[in-house]
Amino acid sequence: MSASREDNTSPDAQLSSHFFGDLLDSIVVDIASECHRIAKLGLDRNLEDEEEELRLSTQARVRAADPSNSGETNSKYVVDIFGQTHPPVANEIFDCMNCGRSIMAGRFAPHLEKCMGKGRKARLKAARSSTAAQNRYSRGSPASTYSPYSNSTSTNRLSNGSTGVAGEELSNGTSEEP
Amino acid sequence: MRHSVNRPPTPDAAEDQEKEPTLQEIINIKLIESGEKERLMELLRERLTECGWKDEMKALCRAFIKKKGRNNVSVDDLVHVITPKGRASVPDSVKAELLQRIRTFLNSAAL
Repeated sequence: MSASREDNTSPDAQLSSHFFGDLLDSIVVDIASECHRIAKLGLDRNLEDEEEELRLSTQARVRAADPSNSGETNSKYVVDIFGQTHPPVANEIFDCMNCGRSIMAGRFAPHLEKCMGKGRKARLKAARSSTAAQNRYSRGSPASTYSPYSNSTSTNRLSNGSTGVAGEELSNGTSEEP
Repeated sequence: MRHSVNRPPTPDAAEDQEKEPTLQEIINIKLIESGEKERLMELLRERLTECGWKDEMKALCRAFIKKKGRNNVSVDDLVHVITPKGRASVPDSVKAELLQRIRTFLNSAAL
Protein backbone atom coordinates (compact mmCIF):
# COMPACT_ATOMS: atom_id res chain seq x y z
CA MET A 1 0.00 0.00 0.00
CA SER A 2 2.23 2.83 -1.11
CA ALA A 3 -0.10 5.66 -1.99
CA SER A 4 1.53 9.01 -2.73
CA ARG A 5 1.47 11.53 0.05
CA GLU A 6 0.66 14.55 -2.10
CA ASP A 7 -2.71 13.24 -3.14
CA ASN A 8 -5.29 14.52 -0.72
CA THR A 9 -7.94 12.09 -1.74
CA SER A 10 -5.65 9.09 -1.54
CA PRO A 11 -6.91 6.25 0.56
CA ASP A 12 -4.09 7.01 2.92
CA ALA A 13 -5.22 10.56 3.60
CA GLN A 14 -8.83 9.55 3.81
CA LEU A 15 -8.00 6.85 6.28
CA SER A 16 -5.99 9.20 8.44
CA SER A 17 -8.81 11.73 8.43
CA HIS A 18 -11.23 9.02 9.34
CA PHE A 19 -9.22 7.98 12.37
CA PHE A 20 -8.64 11.56 13.37
CA GLY A 21 -12.38 12.13 13.29
CA ASP A 22 -12.84 9.02 15.35
CA LEU A 23 -10.51 10.27 18.05
CA LEU A 24 -12.19 13.67 18.03
CA ASP A 25 -15.63 12.13 18.43
CA SER A 26 -14.52 10.18 21.47
CA ILE A 27 -13.11 13.31 23.07
CA VAL A 28 -16.30 15.25 22.30
CA VAL A 29 -18.42 12.58 23.96
CA ASP A 30 -16.14 12.74 27.01
CA ILE A 31 -16.54 16.50 27.31
CA ALA A 32 -20.30 16.34 26.80
CA SER A 33 -20.62 13.63 29.40
CA GLU A 34 -18.55 15.59 31.92
CA CYS A 35 -20.55 18.79 31.44
CA HIS A 36 -23.78 16.84 31.67
CA ARG A 37 -22.67 15.29 34.94
CA ILE A 38 -21.65 18.61 36.44
CA ALA A 39 -24.94 20.21 35.45
CA LYS A 40 -27.10 17.40 36.78
CA LEU A 41 -25.26 17.14 40.07
CA GLY A 42 -25.41 20.89 40.54
CA LEU A 43 -21.65 21.15 40.92
CA ASP A 44 -21.44 24.21 38.75
CA ARG A 45 -21.85 26.93 41.38
CA ASN A 46 -22.13 29.77 38.90
CA LEU A 47 -25.12 28.21 37.20
CA GLU A 48 -26.85 27.67 40.51
CA ASP A 49 -26.16 31.13 41.88
CA GLU A 50 -27.50 32.83 38.79
CA GLU A 51 -30.63 30.71 38.82
CA GLU A 52 -31.15 31.48 42.48
CA GLU A 53 -30.70 35.22 41.98
CA LEU A 54 -33.04 35.21 39.02
CA ARG A 55 -35.68 33.44 41.06
CA LEU A 56 -35.35 35.76 44.04
CA SER A 57 -35.49 38.89 41.91
CA THR A 58 -38.62 37.79 40.10
CA GLN A 59 -40.18 36.97 43.46
CA ALA A 60 -39.31 40.40 44.83
CA ARG A 61 -40.66 42.08 41.74
CA VAL A 62 -43.94 40.26 42.08
CA ARG A 63 -44.20 41.27 45.71
CA ALA A 64 -43.43 44.90 44.93
CA ALA A 65 -45.94 45.07 42.12
CA ASP A 66 -48.65 43.46 44.22
CA PRO A 67 -51.03 46.25 45.32
CA SER A 68 -52.54 44.30 48.21
CA ASN A 69 -49.31 44.40 50.15
CA SER A 70 -49.36 48.10 51.02
CA GLY A 71 -52.78 48.02 52.67
CA GLU A 72 -52.05 45.31 55.18
CA THR A 73 -51.74 45.99 58.88
CA ASN A 74 -48.35 44.45 59.01
CA SER A 75 -47.06 46.92 56.43
CA LYS A 76 -45.09 48.47 59.25
CA TYR A 77 -42.80 45.51 59.04
CA VAL A 78 -42.38 45.30 55.29
CA VAL A 79 -39.27 43.42 54.23
CA ASP A 80 -36.87 45.28 51.99
CA ILE A 81 -34.75 43.79 49.20
CA PHE A 82 -32.01 42.77 51.59
CA GLY A 83 -34.46 40.90 53.76
CA GLN A 84 -34.30 43.39 56.63
CA THR A 85 -37.21 44.89 58.55
CA HIS A 86 -37.19 48.31 60.17
CA PRO A 87 -39.48 49.43 63.07
CA PRO A 88 -41.81 52.32 62.17
CA VAL A 89 -40.18 54.66 64.72
CA ALA A 90 -36.41 54.86 64.99
CA ASN A 91 -35.60 53.64 68.46
CA GLU A 92 -31.96 54.48 69.06
CA ILE A 93 -31.47 56.56 72.24
CA PHE A 94 -29.00 59.41 72.71
CA ASP A 95 -28.60 62.67 74.67
CA CYS A 96 -30.03 66.00 73.54
CA MET A 97 -27.23 68.55 73.19
CA ASN A 98 -29.50 71.40 74.29
CA CYS A 99 -31.06 70.20 77.49
CA GLY A 100 -29.01 67.07 78.16
CA ARG A 101 -31.94 64.66 78.44
CA SER A 102 -32.03 61.13 76.99
CA ILE A 103 -34.13 61.22 73.85
CA MET A 104 -35.32 58.53 71.46
CA ALA A 105 -34.19 59.21 67.89
CA GLY A 106 -37.68 59.03 66.41
CA ARG A 107 -38.94 61.63 68.93
CA PHE A 108 -36.00 63.98 68.59
CA ALA A 109 -37.56 66.55 66.25
CA PRO A 110 -40.65 67.16 68.39
CA HIS A 111 -38.43 67.33 71.43
CA LEU A 112 -36.23 69.95 69.84
CA GLU A 113 -39.28 72.03 69.01
CA LYS A 114 -40.16 72.27 72.65
CA CYS A 115 -36.63 72.40 73.86
CA MET A 116 -35.30 75.15 71.62
CA GLY A 117 -38.29 77.46 71.32
CA LYS A 118 -40.33 76.76 68.24
CA GLY A 119 -43.39 75.61 70.22
CA ARG A 120 -46.03 77.86 71.93
CA LYS A 121 -45.10 77.18 75.53
CA ALA A 122 -41.43 77.62 74.92
CA ARG A 123 -42.01 80.93 73.20
CA LEU A 124 -44.11 82.28 76.10
CA LYS A 125 -41.52 81.07 78.52
CA ALA A 126 -38.86 82.99 76.68
CA ALA A 127 -41.03 86.12 76.35
CA ARG A 128 -41.90 86.06 80.06
CA SER A 129 -38.31 85.87 81.04
CA SER A 130 -37.44 88.86 78.82
CA THR A 131 -40.28 91.10 80.23
CA ALA A 132 -39.25 90.18 83.77
CA ALA A 133 -35.85 91.54 82.98
CA GLN A 134 -37.39 94.81 81.70
CA ASN A 135 -39.56 95.23 84.84
CA ARG A 136 -36.61 94.91 87.11
CA TYR A 137 -34.99 97.95 85.50
CA SER A 138 -38.07 100.15 85.34
CA ARG A 139 -39.03 100.24 89.11
CA GLY A 140 -36.12 102.42 90.04
CA SER A 141 -37.13 105.52 87.98
CA PRO A 142 -40.48 107.39 88.52
CA ALA A 143 -41.72 106.32 85.23
CA SER A 144 -41.95 109.86 83.87
CA THR A 145 -40.64 108.65 80.64
CA TYR A 146 -43.50 106.27 80.28
CA SER A 147 -46.49 108.50 80.90
CA PRO A 148 -47.27 109.49 77.32
CA TYR A 149 -47.17 105.84 76.42
CA SER A 150 -49.80 104.33 78.53
CA ASN A 151 -49.62 100.86 77.10
CA SER A 152 -46.15 99.84 77.97
CA THR A 153 -46.40 98.77 81.59
CA SER A 154 -49.21 98.67 84.05
CA THR A 155 -47.32 100.02 87.06
CA ASN A 156 -48.08 103.66 86.22
CA ARG A 157 -51.79 103.43 86.16
CA LEU A 158 -53.07 102.97 89.69
CA SER A 159 -56.79 103.74 89.70
CA ASN A 160 -57.72 102.18 92.99
CA GLY A 161 -56.67 104.74 95.48
CA SER A 162 -53.37 103.49 96.52
CA THR A 163 -50.82 106.22 96.67
CA GLY A 164 -49.90 106.71 93.06
CA VAL A 165 -46.61 107.98 92.03
CA ALA A 166 -48.15 110.72 89.94
CA GLY A 167 -50.33 111.92 92.84
CA GLU A 168 -52.94 113.64 90.75
CA GLU A 169 -55.94 111.75 91.86
CA LEU A 170 -57.21 112.07 95.42
CA SER A 171 -57.67 108.96 97.44
CA ASN A 172 -61.30 109.74 98.04
CA GLY A 173 -62.14 109.31 94.54
CA THR A 174 -63.31 112.85 94.18
CA SER A 175 -61.50 114.78 91.66
CA GLU A 176 -61.66 118.48 91.23
CA GLU A 177 -62.94 119.61 87.98
CA PRO A 178 -62.92 123.08 86.71
CA MET B 1 -37.99 7.59 29.26
CA ARG B 2 -35.27 9.50 27.48
CA HIS B 3 -31.97 7.74 27.32
CA SER B 4 -29.05 10.02 27.93
CA VAL B 5 -26.89 8.28 25.35
CA ASN B 6 -28.11 6.85 22.09
CA ARG B 7 -26.39 3.62 21.26
CA PRO B 8 -26.60 1.87 17.93
CA PRO B 9 -28.02 -1.65 18.23
CA THR B 10 -25.43 -4.34 18.91
CA PRO B 11 -24.66 -6.13 15.66
CA ASP B 12 -25.69 -9.73 15.44
CA ALA B 13 -22.87 -12.23 15.83
CA ALA B 14 -24.13 -14.43 13.01
CA GLU B 15 -24.20 -11.59 10.50
CA ASP B 16 -20.70 -10.56 11.32
CA GLN B 17 -19.02 -13.81 10.39
CA GLU B 18 -20.21 -13.68 6.80
CA LYS B 19 -18.57 -10.35 5.96
CA GLU B 20 -14.86 -9.83 5.56
CA PRO B 21 -13.33 -7.20 7.78
CA THR B 22 -12.77 -3.96 5.88
CA LEU B 23 -9.43 -2.25 5.70
CA GLN B 24 -10.63 0.27 8.17
CA GLU B 25 -11.57 -2.32 10.68
CA ILE B 26 -8.28 -4.12 10.31
CA ILE B 27 -6.31 -0.97 10.88
CA ASN B 28 -8.54 -0.05 13.78
CA ILE B 29 -7.80 -3.33 15.44
CA LYS B 30 -4.09 -2.86 14.86
CA LEU B 31 -4.24 0.61 16.32
CA ILE B 32 -5.94 -0.61 19.42
CA GLU B 33 -3.88 -3.70 19.94
CA SER B 34 -0.59 -1.88 19.59
CA GLY B 35 -1.70 0.73 22.07
CA GLU B 36 -1.20 3.47 19.49
CA LYS B 37 -4.81 4.52 19.53
CA GLU B 38 -4.58 5.24 23.27
CA ARG B 39 -1.41 7.24 22.82
CA LEU B 40 -2.91 9.23 19.97
CA MET B 41 -5.96 9.93 22.05
CA GLU B 42 -3.88 11.23 24.94
CA LEU B 43 -1.83 13.39 22.60
CA LEU B 44 -4.92 14.89 21.04
CA ARG B 45 -6.51 15.54 24.44
CA GLU B 46 -3.38 17.29 25.64
CA ARG B 47 -3.10 19.50 22.56
CA LEU B 48 -6.75 20.45 22.61
CA THR B 49 -6.63 21.38 26.30
CA GLU B 50 -3.47 23.44 25.83
CA CYS B 51 -4.93 25.55 23.07
CA GLY B 52 -8.18 26.23 24.99
CA TRP B 53 -10.40 24.23 22.69
CA LYS B 54 -11.70 22.12 25.53
CA ASP B 55 -12.67 25.21 27.55
CA GLU B 56 -14.50 26.64 24.56
CA MET B 57 -16.51 23.46 24.23
CA LYS B 58 -17.33 23.43 27.93
CA ALA B 59 -18.49 27.04 27.69
CA LEU B 60 -20.76 26.10 24.80
CA CYS B 61 -22.21 23.32 26.93
CA ARG B 62 -22.81 25.61 29.92
CA ALA B 63 -24.53 28.21 27.75
CA PHE B 64 -26.78 25.58 26.23
CA ILE B 65 -27.61 24.11 29.63
CA LYS B 66 -28.41 27.52 31.08
CA LYS B 67 -30.75 28.20 28.19
CA LYS B 68 -32.60 24.91 28.27
CA GLY B 69 -32.58 24.39 32.01
CA ARG B 70 -30.33 21.80 33.56
CA ASN B 71 -32.99 19.19 33.94
CA ASN B 72 -33.94 19.13 30.27
CA VAL B 73 -30.54 18.29 28.80
CA SER B 74 -29.19 14.93 27.69
CA VAL B 75 -25.62 13.94 26.79
CA ASP B 76 -26.82 13.47 23.26
CA ASP B 77 -28.01 17.06 23.06
CA LEU B 78 -24.63 18.28 24.20
CA VAL B 79 -22.82 16.07 21.68
CA HIS B 80 -24.93 17.54 18.91
CA VAL B 81 -24.20 21.04 20.15
CA ILE B 82 -20.46 20.55 20.30
CA THR B 83 -19.65 18.37 17.31
CA PRO B 84 -20.07 20.79 14.39
CA LYS B 85 -18.39 23.68 16.19
CA GLY B 86 -15.73 21.38 17.60
CA ARG B 87 -14.70 19.90 14.30
CA ALA B 88 -14.45 23.31 12.71
CA SER B 89 -12.41 24.93 15.44
CA VAL B 90 -9.58 22.46 15.92
CA PRO B 91 -6.35 24.41 15.29
CA ASP B 92 -4.60 23.47 12.06
CA SER B 93 -1.32 22.70 13.77
CA VAL B 94 -2.96 20.21 16.07
CA LYS B 95 -4.76 18.53 13.23
CA ALA B 96 -1.60 18.34 11.14
CA GLU B 97 0.39 16.83 13.98
CA LEU B 98 -2.14 14.11 14.59
CA LEU B 99 -2.61 13.31 10.93
CA GLN B 100 1.12 13.00 10.55
CA ARG B 101 1.38 10.52 13.38
CA ILE B 102 -1.49 8.45 12.04
CA ARG B 103 0.06 8.32 8.62
CA THR B 104 3.34 7.24 10.11
CA PHE B 105 1.59 4.44 11.86
CA LEU B 106 -0.21 3.38 8.72
CA ASN B 107 3.05 3.21 6.88
CA SER B 108 4.80 1.31 9.61
CA ALA B 109 1.96 -1.15 9.88
CA ALA B 110 2.01 -1.54 6.13
CA LEU B 111 -0.02 -4.42 5.02
